[in-house]
Amino acid sequence: MRFIPSAFTGPAGRIRRRDFIALLGAAAWAAPARAQQPAVPVIGYLGSESPRAYASRLVAFRKGLAEVGFAEGRNVVVEFRWGEGQYRSLPTLAMELVDRQVTVIVAAGGAEVALAAKAATATIPIVFEMGGDPIALGVVDSLSRPGGNLTGVSSLSVEVSRKRLEFMRELRPKTDLFAVAVNPTSPTSESQLKNLHAAAGSLGLQLRLLNASSEQEFDAVFAAVNQMQAGGLVFTSDPYFAYRSPQLAVLAASHGVPAITQSRDFPMAGGLMSYGGDFEQSHRHTGNYAGRIIKGEKPSALPVQRVTKVEMFINLKAANALGMTLPPSLLSSADVVIE
Amino acid sequence: MHNPPVAPRTSLFKKYFLALFAAVVVPLAIAGGSEAWFGYHDRRETLNDLLEAEARSAASKIQDFMDGIRDQLGWTVQLPWSDSADDRRRLDALRLLRQVPAVMSLSLVDAAGKERLFVSRIGLNRVEDGDDHSNDPAVRGARSDRVWYGPVKFLDGSEPFMTIAVAGNRSAVGVAVAEINLKFIWDVISAIRVGQTGEAFVLDQLGRLVAHPDISLVLRADEAATRPLQALWAAIITRPGEAVTGPDLSGKMVLAAMAPIPGVDWSVVVKQPVAEAFGPIYAALWRTAALLVAGAVLAALLAYWLTRRIVGPIRLLELGVARIGAGHFDHRISLATGDELERLASRFNEMAGELAVSQERSERISRLRRFLAPQVAELVDRTGDDSVLDGRRVEVVVVFCDLRGFTPFSAQSEPETVMAVLGEYYHALESVVSAHGATLLSFSGDGAMVLVNAPVACPDPALRAVNMARDMQMSVQRLLVGWRAQGHRLGFGVGLAMGLATVGRIGSEGRLDYAAIGNVTNLASRLCSSAEDSEILIDRVAAGAVGTNAPLVELDARVLKGFDQPVPVFAVVIGVGQ
Repeated sequence: MRFIPSAFTGPAGRIRRRDFIALLGAAAWAAPARAQQPAVPVIGYLGSESPRAYASRLVAFRKGLAEVGFAEGRNVVVEFRWGEGQYRSLPTLAMELVDRQVTVIVAAGGAEVALAAKAATATIPIVFEMGGDPIALGVVDSLSRPGGNLTGVSSLSVEVSRKRLEFMRELRPKTDLFAVAVNPTSPTSESQLKNLHAAAGSLGLQLRLLNASSEQEFDAVFAAVNQMQAGGLVFTSDPYFAYRSPQLAVLAASHGVPAITQSRDFPMAGGLMSYGGDFEQSHRHTGNYAGRIIKGEKPSALPVQRVTKVEMFINLKAANALGMTLPPSLLSSADVVIE
Repeated sequence: MHNPPVAPRTSLFKKYFLALFAAVVVPLAIAGGSEAWFGYHDRRETLNDLLEAEARSAASKIQDFMDGIRDQLGWTVQLPWSDSADDRRRLDALRLLRQVPAVMSLSLVDAAGKERLFVSRIGLNRVEDGDDHSNDPAVRGARSDRVWYGPVKFLDGSEPFMTIAVAGNRSAVGVAVAEINLKFIWDVISAIRVGQTGEAFVLDQLGRLVAHPDISLVLRADEAATRPLQALWAAIITRPGEAVTGPDLSGKMVLAAMAPIPGVDWSVVVKQPVAEAFGPIYAALWRTAALLVAGAVLAALLAYWLTRRIVGPIRLLELGVARIGAGHFDHRISLATGDELERLASRFNEMAGELAVSQERSERISRLRRFLAPQVAELVDRTGDDSVLDGRRVEVVVVFCDLRGFTPFSAQSEPETVMAVLGEYYHALESVVSAHGATLLSFSGDGAMVLVNAPVACPDPALRAVNMARDMQMSVQRLLVGWRAQGHRLGFGVGLAMGLATVGRIGSEGRLDYAAIGNVTNLASRLCSSAEDSEILIDRVAAGAVGTNAPLVELDARVLKGFDQPVPVFAVVIGVGQ
C-alpha cells in the first residue's frame, strides 16, 4: 500500500518520538545510578613511598585480601596514592582518596601515613599499618575498642629499638660508645630516644645521636660513626629508613660501619643485622582487615592487632666483610642467617 | 408430580473418599512421624557423642600446645645454679625464645628465689639481676606444684597473656617463669574444624574468651560481645556430658559440647551449626515429608478414582430409577462395571421392562372394560392375554332386546324423562348381563345387543342366554309397571339365536368395538323385532340346545325379513318353573 493518508502519519510519528524520548530518559537515569552504587568496592591505598619500595608489602597485603576472598581487579579495585618519600604530601593524597569516596582507606607504612589519613576523614573507614604504639601516637584511644573509623595493625618495631642497641652491644662488647640514627621528623623519634637512653643507662653505654631526615644526610651519618669511633650504628625504627634499606646497606658497607635496622631488607641487601616486627605479617593483617571492612564489619568492632612476631636477620657475609665474628648468643637468636 | 428426594445430609462420595484417603494417609503419616522422631533422637545422641569427641580432641590439642611450652621450659631447669654467671644458660634461654615463639620473655630464678637471668623479645635482657622473686606467686606455685599456670591477663586490655612457671625436680635447679602470648593458640584453634563449618573456642575459668578462630574477638576482650559464647558454656556446665543448643555470636543456632583443659583450668567448647549438624536428618525428614505428600496425593487420586467408580454407577442408578419412576419405562440404565452394581442395573432394567408391559396391559384392559363384562374383563386381565378378542368363528348366542313403543314415547316426552327412563333401563340391563357373564356389545337407543359364549367361552351358552333373557324380562317388566303408572305406554321384547358367527375386535385405536357378524346376529335381531311385549323368542338351534332345561313353547313358523323360508320360532315361558 503506497498511499498513506497524512492524518495517520501525524499521530504515528508523535508516538515514535515519545517512545524515543522515554528511551533516552531511561538510559540517562540508569547511567548515574550505576556510578552511584559501585558494584566493585574501591580500596584507597595510601603509601609513603613508591610501588617499588612497597613491592614486598603489597604482596603480603594482597595475601591478606585473598584470605577474606578479595582479589584486586576481580572483585575489588585498589586506588593507589604514593608519597614518593615526600611525607608532607601525604595529607593531600589522603584528601584525594576521600574525595574519590573510596570504600576503605588503607594507610600502610608508618604513623605519618595513618595520621594523614585520620586527618582527612572521620567517616571513611581507615586501616592503618605502623610500627609505633597507636595509642601513644594518638591514632586510636584503645587497642581493644579503637572507636571511630580507624583500626589497624601495629608491629613491634618501635618498641624494640632498645633491643637493637642490646644486640649491637653483644656484637661489640668491648665498646661503650654507640651511634644512633634518628629521623627527627618522625612522630615516634622522641619515645624511641627515651627508650634508648634508658637502655643505654642500664647497659652502661654512651649514645651519640645522628639526625637524618633525608637521603642526602645518610652519607654524613655513616661518616660520623667512623669519625667518633663508635662501636656501631643503631637505627631507630622509622619507615623512611626502612624503605631505604638498600641505600643504607651500600653506605654501611662502603664506610665499613656495623649497623642494625628494623627491616630485614637491610641485611638482605648486604647490611649486617636487623631486628623488628614482621612486616609480612602486619601487611597481611592489614589486607585482611580491609577485606573484612568491605564485607561490612565496623572498624570500631575490629581491635587493633599487634604483630606477634619480632624477627632477627643476620648477614654473615657482611660480618665477614667487616671482619667481625658473631657471638653464639646472636647467632642462636637469629631467625634467619644469610650466608 | 414426583417430589424430588430430600438431599442427603452427607454424600457417599465424601464418606468413601475420606475413608479411602485416611486408610492410606494415616498409616503413612504414623510411619513417617515415628521415623522422624526416632531419626531425630538417634541423630541427637550420635551428635552428642560426636561433639564430645571433637571437644576432647580439641582440648587435647590445646593441652599439647601448653604441654609443649611446659616441656621446653623444663629444659631450662635441669642443672643446679652455680654462684657465677652462666653463659650456657643464657644461650639456652635465647635458643628457647627462638624455638618457642609464644614465649615473650623468660626469667630464671635460682633456689634462693633470686632472678639469675631474664631474656625478652621486647625488653632488655638481664643477667644476674639478683631481684628477689621468692614471693612471686609464680615461683611459689611452681615450687609447690612443679608447674604453675597463671591467670589470663589482657595486655593493654587487648592481648591475652599468661604466665607459666616450671620448677625442676629439685630446688637447686630453680624455677623458670615465662610470659606466654596466648595469641599463638590461634594457630591451633583456627585449625580445628568441627564438621564443615563448626569451630572451637577456648574460655578461661572466668569465662573470658582466650582463643577463637576470629582473633579480633579475643583482642576486643569484651565480655559483652562474647556473651552468647559464655551462655553456651554456662549451659553445658549445668548439664555435663550433654551437647546443648543455643545461639552463637551471629545468632545462628549451634550445637555445642565442652571438654576441660586440665592444668590451666580452661574449657574448650566446640560448636557446630544446628542446620549442619542435623543436615542429614533434615534431609531425611524432607524426604519423608516429600514421600508423605506424594503418598497423600496418590491416596487422594486413588480414593477419588475408586469413589468415582462406586458413586458414579450409584448416581446413574439413582437417575435411571428416577426416570423409570417418572414413567419413562423405555429408559435403560447402561452400566458395565462387571460387578453387583451392573447386576442391580440389569434388575432395574428388567423391572422397567416389566413395568412397561404391565402398563400396556392395564391400558388395554381399561379399554376392554368398556364392552366386556367385568368378569370377562377380569379374565383378560388375569390371563394378561387379550387374544380372546381376536377374530374367529365360534358358535355364539346373540341376544337382542328393545323397548316397544319407545319411538312415540320419545317423541311425546321431555328429554329429561326420556333420559331418566333410558338410564333406569340401561342400568337394569347391565346388571343382568353382568350377572350372567355375558358380553354387552352395544346399546343403541332403546335396543341392546348381548353376546354369550364370546369372547369368553362358557358352558351351556343357550341355557345361559335364555335365563339371562328371562331375567332381563323380569327386571324390565318391573320397570314397565312404574313407567306405565306414569302413563308411558312402553313394552319390552327379547329375541335370541344361536349359531356360528365371526366375532372379534373391529375398529380403530380410538374407537374399538367387539362385534359378532353372521346370520345368527341377523336372526336374533329379527326375532327381537318379532317379539311382543314381555315375550322372548328363540330360534330352533337355541331351543334344541336348551332342550328341556327351560320351558319352551313352539310357535308357528314365521316369515322374517331376510329369510326365504318361514323360520321356526320358540317362546320362552316366563314364570314357569322359576
